[in-house]
Amino acid sequence: MLEFAKWLGTTPVSVAIQSSTWLTPLLQAIHILMIGLVFVSMLMIALRVLGLARTDETFDATWQRFAPWMWRALLVMVLTGFVLIIGEPYREAGALSFWLKMALIAVAVLSVSGLGRTLAGRTGNFAGGPRAAALAIIMIWIAIIFLGRAIAYDTEVWGAWHLGAPS
Amino acid sequence: MSVPAVIQGIYDSGVAEWMRHSLKAMPFVEAAHVLAIAVVFGSILVVDLRLLGVPNDRRPVTVVSHEMLRLTWGAFIVAVITGALMFAPNAITYFGNTAFRFKMLTLLAAGINMLVFQFSTARSMAQWNLDPRPPVAARTAAMLSIVLWIAVIFLGRWIGFTKGYDFAVPEDIQFDFPQ
Repeated sequence: MLEFAKWLGTTPVSVAIQSSTWLTPLLQAIHILMIGLVFVSMLMIALRVLGLARTDETFDATWQRFAPWMWRALLVMVLTGFVLIIGEPYREAGALSFWLKMALIAVAVLSVSGLGRTLAGRTGNFAGGPRAAALAIIMIWIAIIFLGRAIAYDTEVWGAWHLGAPS
Repeated sequence: MSVPAVIQGIYDSGVAEWMRHSLKAMPFVEAAHVLAIAVVFGSILVVDLRLLGVPNDRRPVTVVSHEMLRLTWGAFIVAVITGALMFAPNAITYFGNTAFRFKMLTLLAAGINMLVFQFSTARSMAQWNLDPRPPVAARTAAMLSIVLWIAVIFLGRWIGFTKGYDFAVPEDIQFDFPQ
């Protein structure tokens, strides 16, 4: 994987991204804006399940209000993230934070869509199971945001667990 | 006390010194800053979209803004604290950085926009609280708010690419793995 990342870093498209002075900050800024949309949309759904927000409306109403924003922003987040990876493949592939982040995003997306499907049509307040799931989903997204920032500091954060050459 | 002296004082402070020498503090502080900004932006956007009539529902403006209030302010306080922790160790460079100065001005503009809305536009809120599409003054404030907060995030990201450092990057650090 590190060899592949090294090769990817030499391809014309990667070199073009690397040599642009404005593309990376622009994509990172869009990526952060999308994190805001995804995180808060998810948070509102989770807080509804926890009984801490929008308890005056049904779960379905909260889901229909925020899920479309969450999925669309997630798509833009993934696309900008994808271009950012191509621009810095070796740094990403060598970072433990990056692989943990990818795994947690998969878990988070499956959990949120699972929660939405399980609770669809259910009225009233929720108890133990759904509440624990909502809390777990919030914690997973917080971890994803921390790991995203930690990619740039992988050696400092993980020490010997860093996968690439010592930087 | 002059402004440069205050900046120098911040740069020389104990917390700035600690931030410069801690290996792990900066990634955690920066991550908390990103998380806080994400919540500030997202939660303000929920209120702004309600003011713009997106979605076109009749959920009262007061209810929407009240339930976001604690989230927005809580996250904003975290963003200010973590922002100060990032500023202090590199204070002189940040203070002279154009993107940083524009970010502060944009934050100020967002604050003024919010105050004008709060103390002028929102005084008649009882009349349009339930309207799917609030009056033009409210919609203007919401549009301005969205544009200004997007600008704050863009400028914030630009600082990182233009600032440089005003201290020697430590080179004698021992990582805990064999070379």
